[in-house]
Amino acid sequence: MKNLLPKFTFAIFFAASVAFADDMVPLKTDLPKPQFVGTPVPINVPNLEPKLTGKRPDFMVPAGTENLAKGKKVTASDNDPVVGTLDLVTDGDKEGDEGSWVELAPGKQWTQIDLEKDADIYAVIVWHYHSQERVYHDVVVQVSDDPTFSKDVKTIYDNSSAGTDRPYIESYQGKLIDAKGVKGRYVRLYSNGNTTNKMNHYIEVEVWGKPAA
Amino acid sequence: MQNEKTGLTRSAVGPASGSSFFNLHSSLAGRWAVFISLSVLALAVRLPRLAERPMHTDESINAYITGELLAGDSFHYDPRDRHGPVLFAFAEPLVKLLGARKFSDLTESQLRLTTVIIGSATVLLLGAGVEMFGFIPCLVAALLFAFAPLPVYYNRYFIHETLFVAATLGLILAGWRAWQKNSAWSAGFAGLCAGLLLACKETSVIHFFALGLAMICGWFLLPREKAPKLKIVGVAFTVFVAVTVTLFTWFGRNWAVFGDLAQAVPHFAARAGGEGHEKPFGYYFHLLDPTFVLMIVAVGGGYAAICDAVTGIRKPHLLLVIYGLLILMIYSAIPYKTPWLALNLWLPLALMCGFGVEAFWEQMTNATGRWFIVVAGGFLLAVLGAQTKLWAFDQPADEKNPYAYAHTVDDLLGLPARIEELAKKENLTQPRIAVIAADAWPLPWYLRKYSKVGYWQPAQDPGPADFYITTTDVPAQLDERLKNLNSEYFGVRPEVLLVLWTPATKETTP
Repeated sequence: MKNLLPKFTFAIFFAASVAFADDMVPLKTDLPKPQFVGTPVPINVPNLEPKLTGKRPDFMVPAGTENLAKGKKVTASDNDPVVGTLDLVTDGDKEGDEGSWVELAPGKQWTQIDLEKDADIYAVIVWHYHSQERVYHDVVVQVSDDPTFSKDVKTIYDNSSAGTDRPYIESYQGKLIDAKGVKGRYVRLYSNGNTTNKMNHYIEVEVWGKPAA
Repeated sequence: MQNEKTGLTRSAVGPASGSSFFNLHSSLAGRWAVFISLSVLALAVRLPRLAERPMHTDESINAYITGELLAGDSFHYDPRDRHGPVLFAFAEPLVKLLGARKFSDLTESQLRLTTVIIGSATVLLLGAGVEMFGFIPCLVAALLFAFAPLPVYYNRYFIHETLFVAATLGLILAGWRAWQKNSAWSAGFAGLCAGLLLACKETSVIHFFALGLAMICGWFLLPREKAPKLKIVGVAFTVFVAVTVTLFTWFGRNWAVFGDLAQAVPHFAARAGGEGHEKPFGYYFHLLDPTFVLMIVAVGGGYAAICDAVTGIRKPHLLLVIYGLLILMIYSAIPYKTPWLALNLWLPLALMCGFGVEAFWEQMTNATGRWFIVVAGGFLLAVLGAQTKLWAFDQPADEKNPYAYAHTVDDLLGLPARIEELAKKENLTQPRIAVIAADAWPLPWYLRKYSKVGYWQPAQDPGPADFYITTTDVPAQLDERLKNLNSEYFGVRPEVLLVLWTPATKETTP
């Protein structure tokens, strides 16, 4: 009997725990319902002030660094742009108005600048579109000595799913990309539509660097 | 029909040549064959690619209400912004018939089919207008309704306007017939249409006013009309009240609605001031007819209607013109404007174009001249058809599309797909999704497949979740919850972005 007591006690606790275990239920919480709203008001503010407030912190580059892309030849995956011409990409005009940007076909497209000779590149600044709050998808910036970008490709920015950079909201200050002195002659920029439509736009691209020694 | 003063012969049906084409309408069967064919063509034009355009916020809210009805709730009129119950009275049985049992079962095509069918039926209903307006005006109006971009676009839109226009046309035709023929059946149908109109949208008061004023003008214009019999008025009014009460109380389940309706009056009066939707006076002119060709033809039709009325013929033409001008002026004068309201103006515009074509037709005394009108009309229809293809099918949500107003962009369609992809990767069968935004629409539509989705206002803390969705102004109290998550942007409407916060797992390169 003495030996049976612990077993009996264990059996009671086991049965009780099983019984209590059966009472366990998933936590159910009421989630709030969406509140009804009216027809959304269209937001159409020309040259909207960007999210980024204040001046961008200074970015340090070696003395003598200049915009090597200014007036240089531009090519693209879409040689017949929907709106504008490819030379707008390097014409120095960074305004957000129509007439300042080129619109490439929908989906993944690239544009490429030929710096004409090898250069040490310290920064690339790109303005896709800044008269509206938008994000361009899968922005990738690469540098190479090969115009076809089939070899010696150095990726300096990548916010596609393969990269580690994060997407950003376009602003009138452009997106400054640290090129860390990478050497190359050609700069290629990819994008894959944006949050408003499937098109790809470029107002201006600046490539800041020095001709390679 | 002989105009005694001018001696101008103006047939109500208009044929002058012996061509069988021009005489097609002379038999009842021939006339209905024409309008049934056009209605079927209108349906064929409206049906393709019905699910492709992203759901506009207003459509998604209407879908949500339909989902509530499927869940067994009754319709509750909201005096702030919800409009009447008619759309849902038509949509609920239709989507049930198509197999939907709950909100998450619904599809874009099922919902939009309601307005597609009613829009195509409006083309057919114009066949019943031949007695009142004549064959040519109704034929022209039917062609414009069937193929022009504005009606095609908004007939494929799950909002109230399509039903509203059909009820307006029904009220005009049945009301006129009841008045002229003392027909109790027509009076009953007019009462039904008036009830549907009121239970569709609050803007019906504008149309009741304009139709009433046109009717008073009709009363005074020669030849003087007999007063409608009291029995006829009684039948129409009884049916009107019965339909209105039945629909607004949602078949007797919600009698508190009348208090809500009283509250709606000051709200909609305030809304007329604009509330962010202010547009210039001429907004609808451009939207209805960017090329102004239709306007010119309609002005010709208006002039012909005045000339006819002065000489005592075709009084309904002038009454329609008066109604059309009145609502055009009222809608244009009200600062609050949205493009779908232009559909209400399309009905008088299309019929007035018909009056114009009829007047040209009658001026042409030989078959060559009439064939010229047919060819020119065909060319205009082809141009309109090309615009329809562009705006209703190829670029239905594009910013440049004049009919796409604060429209949901295609980019948002990627958000539910991305959640599904990541949930699968994280082995989350029922991911918890917290949406923190002052205006989350149309997300409830796009996240309808998920059972654990909650919606919080920016000042609230949603607690733990697998995915968060916020606006770009991320509330400070969420900093701690979001600090280790990845962010991805999705467009909702032009200028409006949402951020999807996802578990910070390293993805493999595709």
